[in-house]
Amino acid sequence: MLAFWQMFSQCAQSAVLSIRLHLLRSGLTTLGIIIGVAAVISVVAIMQGLSAGIRGQLDDLGSDMTTLRAFTTPDQELLGFRNKLTDSDYDTLLNKISDFEQITVAMPAFSMGLSVSYGRSSSQSQLIGAAPNYQHVIRIYPQLGRFILPQDDERRRRVAFIGPSLINKLQLPANPVGEFVLISGDWFRIIGVGEKRGSLFGFDQDNYIITPFQTAKALNGPDQLQVEISYRAKAGVDEQALQQQIRNVLRAKRGLASDAADPFEFITAEKMKSQFNQVLNSVTLVAAGVVGISLLVGGIGVMNIMLVSVTERTREIGIVKALGATPQVILLQFLLEAVLLSLFGGLLGLLLGYGVAALLGALIPGLSAAVVPLWAVLLSLGFTTFIGVVFGLMPAVKAARLAPIDALRYE
Amino acid sequence: MMAITADGPGTEPPVIELPVIELRGISKFYQMAGETFTALADIDLKVGRNDYLALIGPSGSGKSTLLNMLGCLDTPDQGQYLLCGQPVASLDETALAQVRNQQIGFIFQSFNLLPRLTALQNVMQPLLYRVMSKQERLSRAMAVLQRVGLTDKAQHLPSQLSGGQRQRVAIARALVTEPAVLLGDEPTGNLDSKTTASIMALFDELHAQGQTIILVTHEQEIADHCRRVVRLVDGRIVADRQQQQGRSALAV
Repeated sequence: MLAFWQMFSQCAQSAVLSIRLHLLRSGLTTLGIIIGVAAVISVVAIMQGLSAGIRGQLDDLGSDMTTLRAFTTPDQELLGFRNKLTDSDYDTLLNKISDFEQITVAMPAFSMGLSVSYGRSSSQSQLIGAAPNYQHVIRIYPQLGRFILPQDDERRRRVAFIGPSLINKLQLPANPVGEFVLISGDWFRIIGVGEKRGSLFGFDQDNYIITPFQTAKALNGPDQLQVEISYRAKAGVDEQALQQQIRNVLRAKRGLASDAADPFEFITAEKMKSQFNQVLNSVTLVAAGVVGISLLVGGIGVMNIMLVSVTERTREIGIVKALGATPQVILLQFLLEAVLLSLFGGLLGLLLGYGVAALLGALIPGLSAAVVPLWAVLLSLGFTTFIGVVFGLMPAVKAARLAPIDALRYE
Repeated sequence: MMAITADGPGTEPPVIELPVIELRGISKFYQMAGETFTALADIDLKVGRNDYLALIGPSGSGKSTLLNMLGCLDTPDQGQYLLCGQPVASLDETALAQVRNQQIGFIFQSFNLLPRLTALQNVMQPLLYRVMSKQERLSRAMAVLQRVGLTDKAQHLPSQLSGGQRQRVAIARALVTEPAVLLGDEPTGNLDSKTTASIMALFDELHAQGQTIILVTHEQEIADHCRRVVRLVDGRIVADRQQQQGRSALAV
């Protein structure tokens, strides 16, 4: 055992010496590895930083709120069929289930295509028709004025609760309560302005117009439009059980067969988070995989230069063989050199990758500090070593197999 | 070397020593352009301890091939090679490497020192393939450098040494493992006459100290230093005779 370790350390020292002798050549050889590792590390670091930031924002959303929306399976869509969730579903749920702390209904517009204007300014926004308790479920509170009252809803008043972004967009006065805005050809009176919430994933959360549910319904005509039902369960209520209750009620109402899919889906912050994580992980994997290919390129570079090295040192190999170096020693020598060369590149790549990630983290706003997880470091170094062994093996075997007498004659 | 006492009873029993080298029916062939050439044909040779042997012959006679065979750098196609009583002809490369390390000291015409190592490191090189402390390697290397008279050049690189000095380092390297036999392939071929003389004087000295030496040469003056001359022609031994040293010794 001692003999092996002595030999191993001698070979390692010799390998280091060899690399130092041709420092520039070694660096250029491992360029592929350096870039590969740097790219993998910086991609992973940026992705981790990004996801940490977004997860933080998602946490702010409030994880206790669940939204119920209509869901159409791809097969049904193909047949031109569209499921609907209507306000009659809302009434049914309200009547039949008592476990809601708050349940509200809203008619969201899914696009920003609504045009709103004030004086000479106009902007695009989204219109949401909401029940008065929408405020409590979604947790939008007024910084100016008030939210929608039940009277507004009953009387279908044309009143609007706007998001604070619209003050700038429409050049409204600092306190726009009482002003009139034109929404799709109808005049609405501003009754309140919501608190600022900032942006989520770059999406402005402060650009919206909320009108009473009944008003929106009346404006849209007789067609039953899609609604969104949001609720918060009472404290102590089991979420899963509540969801099951809702499903049973709505399915019974529609008289669905037991094998038919749910025509609606539950959306929670948890679900959004896990969906987001899935996407993030897929992107990270793909990016790392694509970039990992450059590691293979780097490996080929190592193999190439090791072959050159073996040829250059043919005479030398013959001499040491004549002095007593066994093929195993020669193999170990050159294999170690290849591995050390790769690791050398890997370490440089690690530093470079971390630097790039840190730089991007500093330059791009909204990107929290780049974090290099330990698993990425270990994986990169491990894979680099693996590359060194795999691509160094052939030249090392070639060196080990040289016949001393032929090697000695090599000019 | 056989030592037999022919005295009567009461004397010591005959001491029969194993020859250092014993070749039996050694043959080596090589292929060239589809034809088979014989490099060595049916060589029988015994070399005893402290023999001082010159292998002489014209070029193409197979003397270098024979020397490479003796040095375990090459393997015969036929025959047996017993080195210190052990058969080595059919050993694999790993085992041969170990034999080279422990029993053989090879000296080349072009010195074959490792250019990036100092003289001392060059001399230590064979010891790297044995398990021992660095201290011991250093002390053994310095000891042989002293024997060849180059302790003051220990830290020099080969490029900083003259031809004669390089060959001395090579000889020291060959000696450091205390080999059974020193093999020299035209060791003075690249040296001028004055340096040649001093190197040959070193070989003479080593022989006097008990070393077994085999030198390949095509020069009679070199062969004159030795005690036994084996002449090869076309891969066969045509002459093998003892002689006194210095039949026509070089003038210093």
